[in-house]
Amino acid sequence: MIEFDHVTRRYGVKTAVNDLSLAIPRGELFALLGPNGAGKTTTIKMLVGLLRPSHGHVRVCGHDLVTESRAAHLHLGYVPDEPCLYDKLTAREFLRFIADMYGIPRHLAAKRIDREIECFELQEFADDLAENYSLGMKQRLVFAAAFIHDPDVIVLDEPMVGLDPRSVRIVKDLLKARTAEGMTVFMSTHTLAMAEEMADRMGIMVRGKLRFLGTVSELREQMAIEATSLEHLYLELTSSRATLRETTLAGED
Amino acid sequence: MATDSFPAPATHPLSIEQESLLLLRLRTTTAGHLIGTMLTQARLRFALVVALSIIFWIALFGLFFEAFTFIDSMHAEVISLLFNAFFSSLMVMMVFSTGILMYGSLYTSEEAKLLLTCPLRPAAIHAHKFQEALWFSSWGFVLLGSPMLVSYGVVRQAPWTFFAMLLPFMVSFVVIPAAFGSILCMLIVAGLPRLRVHAISISIVIVSLGLIWTVWSTLQSTQSETMTVAWFEETLSRLTMTEQKVLPSWWLSSGLLESALRGETAEQGWASTLEALKFLGLLTANALLINLAAGWVARWCYRAGYSHLQAEIPRRRQRSIRWFDDLLARSGPRWGSPLRLLLVKDLQIFRRDATQWTQFMIFFGLLGLYFFNLRSFNYSHAYASIIGYLNLAVVGLILSTFTTRFVFPSISLEGRRFWILGLLPVSRDHIVWSKFLFAFGGGLLPCLGLVMLSDSMLSVPKNTTLIHLFCCGMLCSGLSGIAVGLGACMPDLRESSPAKIAAGFGGTLSLVLSALFIIAVVMTTALPSHLNLLRRSMGQMPGENFLGFVSSQFGITASLVVVAALGMVATFLPLLLGLRAFRRLEP
Repeated sequence: MIEFDHVTRRYGVKTAVNDLSLAIPRGELFALLGPNGAGKTTTIKMLVGLLRPSHGHVRVCGHDLVTESRAAHLHLGYVPDEPCLYDKLTAREFLRFIADMYGIPRHLAAKRIDREIECFELQEFADDLAENYSLGMKQRLVFAAAFIHDPDVIVLDEPMVGLDPRSVRIVKDLLKARTAEGMTVFMSTHTLAMAEEMADRMGIMVRGKLRFLGTVSELREQMAIEATSLEHLYLELTSSRATLRETTLAGED
Repeated sequence: MATDSFPAPATHPLSIEQESLLLLRLRTTTAGHLIGTMLTQARLRFALVVALSIIFWIALFGLFFEAFTFIDSMHAEVISLLFNAFFSSLMVMMVFSTGILMYGSLYTSEEAKLLLTCPLRPAAIHAHKFQEALWFSSWGFVLLGSPMLVSYGVVRQAPWTFFAMLLPFMVSFVVIPAAFGSILCMLIVAGLPRLRVHAISISIVIVSLGLIWTVWSTLQSTQSETMTVAWFEETLSRLTMTEQKVLPSWWLSSGLLESALRGETAEQGWASTLEALKFLGLLTANALLINLAAGWVARWCYRAGYSHLQAEIPRRRQRSIRWFDDLLARSGPRWGSPLRLLLVKDLQIFRRDATQWTQFMIFFGLLGLYFFNLRSFNYSHAYASIIGYLNLAVVGLILSTFTTRFVFPSISLEGRRFWILGLLPVSRDHIVWSKFLFAFGGGLLPCLGLVMLSDSMLSVPKNTTLIHLFCCGMLCSGLSGIAVGLGACMPDLRESSPAKIAAGFGGTLSLVLSALFIIAVVMTTALPSHLNLLRRSMGQMPGENFLGFVSSQFGITASLVVVAALGMVATFLPLLLGLRAFRRLEP
């Protein structure tokens, strides 16, 4: 469903993403981890079509994000790290706008809007202007908008920022249910506990390179250390010592 | 890669017409809510904007009516030249203003980011943002051009078809430079990502130099006495370069002039209307074509340009300007005076906020250019005195827009940083005083410089210059006091956009009070000073009546005392109210 094919993105002389190759099948929840500046946001921007790769291809459901961006976007839902809404639209109007944009017929759109409003508990403020919403309310509305067209692939950039514990639970349950139905989730996060709890597989990026790809138990095997928590493994993998070791090995090669 | 193994999307792509209709519906819905909010929450601002627009329109209509009556009776042939000069200048300005607006709305706005992650065509997104930019860049033209053209029609007793064709003419005209600006913007961003800043800077410098040279050479080298018929003719003859038949401005002015012709017979009248319709057709066809071209360019390079821009990394601060920060940090006494620290912080933020200082430079720079050119007009003493005071008022009005737009919101903008200031051993009074000193100090030097330049170019007497400088000082102090005081009285700690804070009730009140204060100060000193000048130029002694008292030296001194009192009240009353409100504020 999602395919990164030897993708490189450079910012001038700096390489933000370096030869990333990754395929995520249908129904998988994939978590992308990494320290600040690792290239996660660049990867997500390329996946949603805001940024074009310097080399390689990004495909969603077989559609290239550069040459067939509209076709790819029909399959995509996106929740950015900072919610972007129209201040002068109510939640219901915003959801209607998004539903119309995906060509959902009116009768079906009305049902979907009600479904999402109920799912994300937006009833109380569904007819208020978005300019009066708190960050959490805005984030819930963005989630509702991303799910309204039942996308095959959903991309989440730091999805839990601003959400209260109850909303976090709602989102987690929803993601589990939808992935069970075949939806693919690509999630960037700093919350290791969530990645451990939710993800089928995870990727750890360091300085633009995908340093690890697999499950937590595979990470434990690869690291070959007596560590129990993902936090410990993650810190070990992303530490400067590990980077130095890799650089030295590359130099010897 | 084959797509057979993937599911078909559960959604249906829209046609370009459906996309356009959807975005139009979005615009009407948001506009409806915006107007509704303004009518319920910002009635004063809404009423003020409407009332001032109407007054402005009527005043312009009256001015143009008088001007066209004068020209029509003596020099009807120059109308074409005037129209061409006006519309061609407007055309150049619209190319740049729309280009800059489109850059902001297509590449840096949050809405563009949202729309680009949706299944919308780039051409539809461009059209949506273009409508917005077109409105913002052309409303000034409509407000300025409509009274001019209506008054022309009234003076020439034009047939009804002239008035009916005005709007189509204006709309089809503005689309052409606006679409051209938009195309330029997209091509520069997509084609010259690395040279973008240089390309824009160089083109702005070239166009600015060209405009300055044109204005200078048009006005400077006239030999005749200012404001005479010969002067007008000499000046206008230099504007013939704007009468190029390939320019849309020529099509517009020719069409309008044709449509205003009544003709001696009905046949002649219809022939003129038909000719005007041909020009309208030419404008409309070109507007549609360039609009289509803008859509093609958007389809071809909008997404690529957006990606180029996203890939740019902000440059590190240049070493060459770090010295300024070091100098600021080391200036003043070594012990940490809270006021000094707050002032240094505000200065550093101001220097790094290009929107503030570039607008400051542009407005004051243009004003300086105008003042610098005053000498070439050869005004008489009486005129020079009036113009000196009008210039003082203009300096005050420009400063008031800055104090309202940037100083008034400055206290509110501390809202999100309140936890920093709240934890520091700095009293809230210091915050308010630092804002006042920053505004007062920042405004005083350029304003005094401008007033001195104006008076020097007008060759007004030294005493009058001193009076102007004194008034200017009072204006700077009072305007800063009003903006800071009201900003502290009515802070909006939740809003992060200074434009939105300034556009609220408090900002509007600040602007209105500032305008009233400027009028009061200028009128109080202008009247006795000007009457005194007139009396002396006619060799008269002060009379016993009221006007005689006002125009005497005592009257002038009294007016200065009143101005000083007005300045003190405008400075300290809002500040005291602001300090009191700010001490009680619970963030």
